[in-house]
Amino acid sequence: MSGMRLLDGSEAIVEAAIMAGLRFYAGYPIAPATELLEYMAEKLPSVGGVCVNADTEIEAVNMALGAAQVGARAATGSCGQGLALKQEAIAEAALNETPLVVFNMARNQQDYFQATRGGGWGDYHTVTYAPKDLHEAVELTHVAFHVADKYRVPVIFMGDNLLARTQMGTSLPVPELEKLPAKDWALDGTMGGTGASRWIWTFGGGKANRPGVGPDGYWRQIAEKFQRIARDEMRHEQCFCEDAETVVVAFGSAGKFVEHVVRELRKEGMKIGFFRPITLWPFPADALDAATRDAKNILVFELNAGQMIDDVRLSVEGRRRIAAIGGVSFDDSGLNLGPLLDADIIRERILAQLSGQPLRQLPYTGMGAYL
Amino acid sequence: MELELFVSGIGGQGVQLLGKTLALAALREGRHVMLSGEFGGHMRGGSSVVTVVVGPEPIRALPKLPSAGTAIALSHSYWEKVGPRLRPGSLILAEETVADDLPDDGHRIVRVPAITLGTEAGNRLSSAMAMTGAFSELTGAVGIQALIDAMTEQLPSYRRQHAETNAKAIRLGAAFVRGQGAALSYPAPYLAREAAE
Repeated sequence: MSGMRLLDGSEAIVEAAIMAGLRFYAGYPIAPATELLEYMAEKLPSVGGVCVNADTEIEAVNMALGAAQVGARAATGSCGQGLALKQEAIAEAALNETPLVVFNMARNQQDYFQATRGGGWGDYHTVTYAPKDLHEAVELTHVAFHVADKYRVPVIFMGDNLLARTQMGTSLPVPELEKLPAKDWALDGTMGGTGASRWIWTFGGGKANRPGVGPDGYWRQIAEKFQRIARDEMRHEQCFCEDAETVVVAFGSAGKFVEHVVRELRKEGMKIGFFRPITLWPFPADALDAATRDAKNILVFELNAGQMIDDVRLSVEGRRRIAAIGGVSFDDSGLNLGPLLDADIIRERILAQLSGQPLRQLPYTGMGAYL
Repeated sequence: MELELFVSGIGGQGVQLLGKTLALAALREGRHVMLSGEFGGHMRGGSSVVTVVVGPEPIRALPKLPSAGTAIALSHSYWEKVGPRLRPGSLILAEETVADDLPDDGHRIVRVPAITLGTEAGNRLSSAMAMTGAFSELTGAVGIQALIDAMTEQLPSYRRQHAETNAKAIRLGAAFVRGQGAALSYPAPYLAREAAE
């Protein structure tokens, strides 16, 4: 196919990010985000960009923060364990209005609370995109940089090892996005010596000749901005929900598997639907509430001990019965999604839950004998 | 409508390269593809599995394939990762020295002397390429020239000297299947529809 390339998810994301204008990336190697760093190091210099293999996760995120504050499209990346270390800088970016994209090539789905609740201080959220596959990842990479700049906020892009390493043919399409104004806030040095030099800080200060709004006014403005984002940037996907008695909710790669199973069960005549939040924050609560209005059961499949299920509960506020059918599941290395992410097992769990049977527990995948 | 293939062997046999060559060739012929490796941390040895999906439309298959109807076995070691996921009556191209070690699950096994053909081409290590040629001739999933181009495209500059050997191995694999009178005896599922269009 002309113009098609066979790329793995990491390569495709790097290509899309550079097409979106990314010019600075700093990261620290960690599976399964290492390939992202490697491709960034390979590709960024050829477009005049910079990639730094930082000494620590914290250095990496702060380098990216600095690059973003001078006006460049900048990003950092890791897996959820690395993002744990980056939390202070992510909160800082939210409160000092720095557009920063953070790639989380997650080892699992235990990163949901971290992404949607955050670990830093302040009334902020991180817009979080969770693509189901490479094609959506390419689109959402563009969207992530766009939304970060549009609102001057940190944005998390949450992939996983399946996305990072699965190769697909792609033409790397560029989505149509509105044109954004120039960054008249960037600390690019152009205002030095004019008496109107710019600064960025986290509590609305100013100078004697150009006072700021102060902490109360500033943090209220920040909070209002996140309400605006919550209203305008929600994304989700659903199918067969109109007449569904049961709706299964899942996100990311797991969403793709669940959709596959739901389509099969539909073919067999079952009244079942599928709902997938694409933005984990803002969570598409109203859409989920509407999609499940006539459903008797909501099943939540996520590869963790139950995190997104809290947002599902908040969305329907006790009006529907909700059950978790996922669970913690890693492969024997502890670095990748585990055996629960399997179409047959998901199907078995949906049917077991609906017939009141206990969910079959899988044996542990590894022995843990490393020493 | 999608062709789903497992390739199974031992790390170092060229399993991942085999999968990528097929996928890239299919892509160059205008089809949609997905390629997904399942392998451990070894450079050589250890289980190596790759799944290839080819279709006329954007791929719907899951990145961890639950099942497939086609497999290539370069080794019988680690077959347990693939065998149970094959649908009844699957086509298996098996290296002839390992074919007898595969469990008899009622699949259709085609024995391919890939190691002999690779050696004949000039390098035993090109046996995986001979297997792609045989697969292409049996299923029509991709063309021989597309395979040769895809193989050449992937060779880094310091390995260009192997291009000719690999191309020869691909052609020998195809010729072996033709010699058995088995060309296109297991056509890829999308061929009939494409022919009708």
